[in-house]
Amino acid sequence: MALPSWWLIGWRNLGRNPRRTFITALGLAAGYFAVIFMVGFADGLKVEMIDNGTGLMTGQIQIHSPRYRPDRSLYETIGGRAGADFEAVIRTVVRDPAVVAAAPRVYGAGLLSSGQSTRGGMLMGIDLDREPRVSRLMNSLWQGRAPAPAAKELMIGTEMARRLELQVGDEVILVAPAADGSMGNDIFRVCGLYRTGMADLDGAFALIPIRSLQRLLALDPERVHEIALSTADPWLAPEAGLRLVGGLAPLGVELEVLDWTGLRPEMLEYALLMDSWYSIVVLIVFSIVLFGVANTMLMSTYERRREFSVMLALGARPHQILLTVVSEATALGWISLVLGVAVTFPLIAWWHHSPIDMSWIYGDLTMLGALIRPVLRVEYNLPVSLWTGLALLLTAVTAGLYPAARAAWLPPADTLSGL
Amino acid sequence: MGNPALQTEAVWKVFHQEAEKVRAVRGVTLTIQPGEFVVLAGPSGSGKTTLLNLIGGLTRPTDGRVWVDGLELTRMSSRELARMRLEKLGFIFQSYNLLPVLSALENAEFPLLLRGLERGQREHRVRELFQRTGLAGLEHRRPGKLSGGQQQRVAVIRAVVGEPALVLADEPTANLDSAASDILLTVMEELNRDLGTTFLFATHDSRLMERSRRLIHLVDGQIASDQWQEPRRES
Repeated sequence: MALPSWWLIGWRNLGRNPRRTFITALGLAAGYFAVIFMVGFADGLKVEMIDNGTGLMTGQIQIHSPRYRPDRSLYETIGGRAGADFEAVIRTVVRDPAVVAAAPRVYGAGLLSSGQSTRGGMLMGIDLDREPRVSRLMNSLWQGRAPAPAAKELMIGTEMARRLELQVGDEVILVAPAADGSMGNDIFRVCGLYRTGMADLDGAFALIPIRSLQRLLALDPERVHEIALSTADPWLAPEAGLRLVGGLAPLGVELEVLDWTGLRPEMLEYALLMDSWYSIVVLIVFSIVLFGVANTMLMSTYERRREFSVMLALGARPHQILLTVVSEATALGWISLVLGVAVTFPLIAWWHHSPIDMSWIYGDLTMLGALIRPVLRVEYNLPVSLWTGLALLLTAVTAGLYPAARAAWLPPADTLSGL
Repeated sequence: MGNPALQTEAVWKVFHQEAEKVRAVRGVTLTIQPGEFVVLAGPSGSGKTTLLNLIGGLTRPTDGRVWVDGLELTRMSSRELARMRLEKLGFIFQSYNLLPVLSALENAEFPLLLRGLERGQREHRVRELFQRTGLAGLEHRRPGKLSGGQQQRVAVIRAVVGEPALVLADEPTANLDSAASDILLTVMEELNRDLGTTFLFATHDSRLMERSRRLIHLVDGQIASDQWQEPRRES
């Protein structure tokens, strides 16, 4: 049998006290789990926030006239006052591999009156066939039904219905400045109520068939304010947006293409803040673990100081003793990593696919204008998993350095005295 | 004529314990030639272990000089001392001090690993010594699975495997019963006779003293007597 290298000596030393090795490895593995879980949970919140923040209404990409934002002037439709072939725009954008769907929208500010109550609101004209593939607003139908195409029907949020004391089936008078300079007004019937859980949204928007709203606002059918796009993944939107700018240029229409990071920069900043926070989590967790492991390693090497003295007496050099202990710490790190991965990933997979729903305690939450469901959904984060694994190994090695140095520079005669 | 295996010249070791000075070794001058089988005897506290530590380069003398195989230890750096111990000295301890995570074979060839010898060379040398010392077949046992006598024989192989100029043995029989002591002493006598290995023992075991050819008595850190004698053969 070959004489073991320093690595093998270190590895075998771990087997001398399996219980202590297991408990120490468990400490490191728990640190690994804590980081992956915290990051995964924070990622889950982030994904939820971005998904809801973009998917509920905004869409992942929006296309407007370059002069539409930020004032959202009624007159600044795509292609200007003459309008444009927005269907050609839609046909172009849906060819992009990242784009799932696109839907035109028309907006107008108006008053909604019912009986003695009048409230200001945002009238949103939607394509009833396309909109559900771009946003989930219509999926939030709480009562009644969606409007029929081109009918004088609308969906309002539950909060607006409460303020105007409206119910499904009631009539409501809409008054809004029209594009021809007149004051558009008409009677619409409430066909459904939606409820997103966000009071601002539920109290402000009235969803109207796009053609009906165009008539009210005296806009020609080819005049829309916005084309909203959904992408397969919100993080594909920035690159897709850049591609679309080039892809739409041949149409000869002045267009502004904005992805959600430009439309909702606060969400991007939050996402970036989260990413930097992950490093702090790793640092804090493994700093705590470091001292525990170092203490155990110190005890372990203290118990073996006589062996190290013998090795030194036989002619071993301090760096060889150092290597033995560091090898032991590294082996401990690998065991911990295997243990950590074995424990962490099944749990993460479980909490990813079957998140624990805490909404019965907290209800729905809103953050940065996005709805957050209080579910413990944990996301996979491969880069963080790899970095955390590396941090675990570094922690184990770092924890071994001081005990290793103590062992390597033992005075052998003092330790061996009386043998 | 070659170098003496060991030479000391007026070696002193003084420890400072609080305000008190403890003179553990007082001006010891000693020469041991290659192939000698020497016992350093004396009561507890006479300075035997301290003198072995000084000779082994494990501690530095307060005064005086020490040469092992012609190399002066007192001028060496820690790095040079480690190299000298590896190449010129072998150690046998009272408590065997085998590394518990290594097998008997691995323990025995440990100094050769430190010297960077190839596996084949190491095993060849060690297996021969296992045969010679009656340990053949026990090569792959861990120390915990060996008797005290067997462990000490492995320690002897570890001490001599690198063909050192001098083997220092501190109370090697103290933890052994008389039968195991006899076997061990016979093994060391044979190694001394057949391989010319030089042994210096520190002991107060009368059996070991009787079987030495040179008996040095140390009292209060000084050499009280240094006698050549006819060793008693094993019973």
